Amino acid sequence: MPPGSSPKDEPVNQEQFERALLEIKAGKEDIRPSDVVIFSEPLRSTLNRAVRIGRISLTEFAKELEVERERAREIVELLIKRNLLRVSSFSNDKETFYETRLSAMTRPLGRPPSDIFKKLDD
Amino acid sequence: MSKIVSVHSFRGGTGKSNTTANLAALLAMGGARVGVVDTDIQSPGIHILFNLDESEMVHSLNDYLWGKCGIKDTAHDVTGHLGTQVKGQVFLIPSSIKAGEIARILREGYDVGLLNDGFRDVVTELGLDYLLIDTHPGLNEETLLSIAISDVLVVIMRPDQQDYQGTAVTVDVARKLDVPKMMMLVNKIPSAFDLDDVRARVEQTYKVKVIAALPHSDEMMTLASSGIFSLKYPDSIVTKGLKAVADEISG
Ligand SMILES: Nc1ncnc2c1ncn2[C@@H]1O[C@H](COP(=O)(O)OP(=O)(O)OP(=O)(O)O)[C@@H](O)[C@H]1O
Ligand SMILES: [Mg+2]
Repeated sequence: MPPGSSPKDEPVNQEQFERALLEIKAGKEDIRPSDVVIFSEPLRSTLNRAVRIGRISLTEFAKELEVERERAREIVELLIKRNLLRVSSFSNDKETFYETRLSAMTRPLGRPPSDIFKKLDD
Repeated sequence: MSKIVSVHSFRGGTGKSNTTANLAALLAMGGARVGVVDTDIQSPGIHILFNLDESEMVHSLNDYLWGKCGIKDTAHDVTGHLGTQVKGQVFLIPSSIKAGEIARILREGYDVGLLNDGFRDVVTELGLDYLLIDTHPGLNEETLLSIAISDVLVVIMRPDQQDYQGTAVTVDVARKLDVPKMMMLVNKIPSAFDLDDVRARVEQTYKVKVIAALPHSDEMMTLASSGIFSLKYPDSIVTKGLKAVADEISG
């Protein structure tokens, strides 16, 4: 079977696919740990596993999300845009691998009225 | 296979730092190479348990987050500070205790993703068997990230109504993050309580295995975080419980 093809007997789950797309499209910023917690299944557990291991292949991704390879690629593209995934240098003609990276800025504190930060800096 | 282990409690002062330091020492006594990261940037403290003086701190986690050095440069070999022969090694990654540096990181914030990269890199670069993460109490993105990349989560609580509710939140979130192994430690149990009874009740409430139910210990209070309890009191019931947790982590 040539890479990237979607044989007829591969499981397709339209509903899960569309829900995943909507959930990822709902935000624009980098995907934070608190975003993953509220994703629906099987997206949440797929991302959890990928984050813990640090990488995932397109084949595994499609299998875990129970969608065709081409649909998995659509989801992957969105996750790349939101900086959760990036294409790994281990990728080759047969397989694309992705590295995972959760992000999020901690919320900087506002300046207290006494400006204690400035005093501490001096 | 190396393991990342987060030690967390919803409320403060439950014994996270003491537990983390003791687990590190016990795992190292068994011959393991152990890293300990103080991610409690706003109120660091675990360096005290390892007797790491401010003057000995070359680089801190803050320096790494600001891009001033690599994560490996922040790791201090504190094996010699344990005061006992240990077969393995313990490396401590401290958070800065300079007021200005704590203020700066709170004021500017930092990218939690750098912790993600740093934890993985330090495990590889130092060839660690375990990386123990001492967390800030409560739930925030840093804590969620730590749990998300951990293989093991140790949740600590005291038998106190405020802890009961908060712990339920932590356990729930940990389940949503599919942490492969979650265990609990109930600490500072007043002498009026029956230890086995507390253990059974907590297990029933959270459906998580309680590996140790530890009494409030006067010796621990008196030691006041100035050293590693299990090395000073190897025969104490508290040490026995901590050993059980270390065994569960390595098993
Ligand atoms: N079983 C125990 N019996 C008596 N005192 C204990 C026990 N466990 C810990 N302590 C004491 O409780 C205090 C707080 O412990 P520790 O600093 O480890 O908690 P923590 O959860 O890390 O706190 P924080 O949330 O502030 O970081 C210390 O003084 C420690 O000696
Ligand atoms: Mg602490």
